[in-house]
Amino acid sequence: MFRVLVTKELKAILLSPRFVGTFMVGAVLILLSVYVGIQEYRAAVDHAQTSQLLSDQGLQEATSWMSASTRAYRAPDPMTIFVSGLAFDIGRWTPISTRTGVRLRHSLYSDEPMYAVFRFVDFSLIVVVVMSLFALLFTYDAVSGEREDGTLKLVFSHPVSRAHYLLAKASGAWLGLAAALAVPTALAVLMVVVYGIPLGWQDWLRLTLLLGLAALFCGSFVMIGLLLSACTRHSSVSFLTGLMVWVALTLIVPRIGVLTAGQLTNVPTVAEIQGQREAFARDQWDKFMRDGIGRWQGNTDSLGEEALLARIQTEDSLRRQVETNISDYETRQYADLRRKSERRERLALSLARLSPVSAFQIGAMTLAGTDLDMKPRFESAMDAYRAQFTDYVGQRQSESPGAGGMRIEFNSETGMKISNPRDAGALDISGLPKYVSPRFDLAPAVGSLALDFGVLALGLLGCLFGAVMLFSRYDVR
Amino acid sequence: MTDSPYLEAVALSKRYEDGVLALDRVSFGVRPGQIYAMLGANGAGKTTTINIFLNLIDPSEGEARIGGIVTHREPLEAKAHVAYVSENVMLYGNFTAMQNLEFFARLSGKHHYSRDDYHDILRRVGLSDDVHYKKVRGFSKGMRQKCGIAIAILKDAPAILLDEPTSGLDPKAGWEFCRLLESLRQEGKAILMSTHDIFRAKEIADTIAIMKEGRLVMEQPAGELAHLDLEKLYMEYMAGHNGPMPAEA
Ligand SMILES: Nc1ncnc2c1ncn2[C@@H]1O[C@H](COP(=O)(O)OP(=O)(O)OP(=O)(O)O)[C@@H](O)[C@H]1O
Ligand SMILES: [Mg+2]
Repeated sequence: MFRVLVTKELKAILLSPRFVGTFMVGAVLILLSVYVGIQEYRAAVDHAQTSQLLSDQGLQEATSWMSASTRAYRAPDPMTIFVSGLAFDIGRWTPISTRTGVRLRHSLYSDEPMYAVFRFVDFSLIVVVVMSLFALLFTYDAVSGEREDGTLKLVFSHPVSRAHYLLAKASGAWLGLAAALAVPTALAVLMVVVYGIPLGWQDWLRLTLLLGLAALFCGSFVMIGLLLSACTRHSSVSFLTGLMVWVALTLIVPRIGVLTAGQLTNVPTVAEIQGQREAFARDQWDKFMRDGIGRWQGNTDSLGEEALLARIQTEDSLRRQVETNISDYETRQYADLRRKSERRERLALSLARLSPVSAFQIGAMTLAGTDLDMKPRFESAMDAYRAQFTDYVGQRQSESPGAGGMRIEFNSETGMKISNPRDAGALDISGLPKYVSPRFDLAPAVGSLALDFGVLALGLLGCLFGAVMLFSRYDVR
Repeated sequence: MTDSPYLEAVALSKRYEDGVLALDRVSFGVRPGQIYAMLGANGAGKTTTINIFLNLIDPSEGEARIGGIVTHREPLEAKAHVAYVSENVMLYGNFTAMQNLEFFARLSGKHHYSRDDYHDILRRVGLSDDVHYKKVRGFSKGMRQKCGIAIAILKDAPAILLDEPTSGLDPKAGWEFCRLLESLRQEGKAILMSTHDIFRAKEIADTIAIMKEGRLVMEQPAGELAHLDLEKLYMEYMAGHNGPMPAEA
């Protein structure tokens, strides 16, 4: 019975002009987006490689180890072809030197704002915008449309259970959608392989998970469409409601999540933090001074030299204590700030996940490694490299303290001689540790991914349950 | 012909949500091999009765039984034993007549029909071969009605519910439909039919009932009415010259 219903649904969908349109639009968009993604990826790899080379050359030509600096480039990840996420917003390199800290700068969008005007359309955006719309298009009239056509009455004069009927509708629409997604995606992946983009086993796993997530996402929109269809008597009404729900879920709920989190959690601004720190420091010094007056009261002339020295030492250690207090306060403040903003991020993402759209987007970005963790992940790897770099440079400097800077020699015979280390030739950087971009690791992302999969599955089942409940009371006439 | 009715309405009442009392304690039975024709003005409650048999709506009181199964208690079980043709058969417009037949036959659990069986039945209800593979979207009301009848026959259920089945049929098709009904009666089906066609009802029905404002006001074996002018009788009932039908002994 169920098979008969699913077969019929699938046949109806595959033969419908909707499906043909969906398939064509989906195929063109996906293939185009992946093609552009591949080109972008190759350009990024080229950019990183040649720039690294130039930066190495620059280092070689540096005058001294003291002023030596290089750059670390973020290696592009092939998954950005499918889910660009924040990849184009986050800086592509950081200067590495003994003096300045690591900070990723020069994102693609900041260097070439032209691309930022319309932003790149990638696979995940196509799924979010196009596939969700198509899912609603396939299902909005599943119940209400058949009621209007009068076929529902004839179907339910047969021994068909309503739950089966709904499940068949869902399966048919979902399978049709999956076909419209799977075929072009398979071609797109083939294109990636043909272009020789290196994909490791982890990348294949990530790709598979991404497709699974997309399938689940489409499924949840199929269910939303069915639910709407089962609450309305007319397909025109369900179409309109579907459109409004789509706008709410794709455009409004995710943003409301972020805004609400911003309102709910109080994360101090930089100015506030500075103000607090200055106030704390002032208090500390005031106290130190006030106490100092007490300590130095009385006759200090009568103190012996040794006692005076001890006094001064105590004073010094107290002063240092104040400095440590202030610096500890600062550390605590920053830790607190980081904790608060992390909490805010978590809250924002959790609220946004009320919409399957955000759950999918967050999950896809996590899989591609282009999520909010992208920047800290690369920066901490770069920090570690900077430590290596600083160590090495320090070592080289101590080995040849003369190297670098101007060298002025006085000789009774030749007179004064000014030499430049440039004359001595380039720096030998062969021993300098090389920066290696961190490989994406799926393991730490499992928790967050499970949440996204869970949210989507739960939403899907919830909508299915709602649809079955509503449809059990639906007047099919 | 057994005496126990296969289709049975027991003190069936239906009050719609808006308060309209569409059926008022209606009781009747249709035995296997019997054609039971319900006449009555628009809004008399004929469709409501049939819809309760199909569990498309629940009765407010009383019950409808198909082969002893109470329709609103075990709807799936009951629906397996009844075929239905509505006053305006609607089919899947994107599918051909053949595809529609195949789908609904399978929905009835009949998987053994061959392509030839479908052609045969379509010919039997009066649809010529050239439209068998045409999409139903372009069919006239009468053509759809014929498809609906074919679907009901394919279901091969012991009971058949017909809600103004001949509406939209041309005279020839109407005549053919009557022959079809006769052969179904021959096969022992219990047939409940609502109709506005007094003459055809008199011609083929075994029992004729008249409904008025949700009540059964007359029920007579067709044989006993043969010598009467049914149209005149009907008009009299509609005008209210006769009281409600006395309870059967
Ligand atoms: N869904 C509904 N809600 C409220 N009242 C209804 C509904 N369906 C039918 N009715 C009312 O129930 C009564 C019986 O309607 P029904 O459709 O059973 O009549 P009928 O005998 O089939 O008429 P016709 O010959 O026009 O088909 C009418 O008064 C009608 O207005
Ligand atoms: Mg009617």
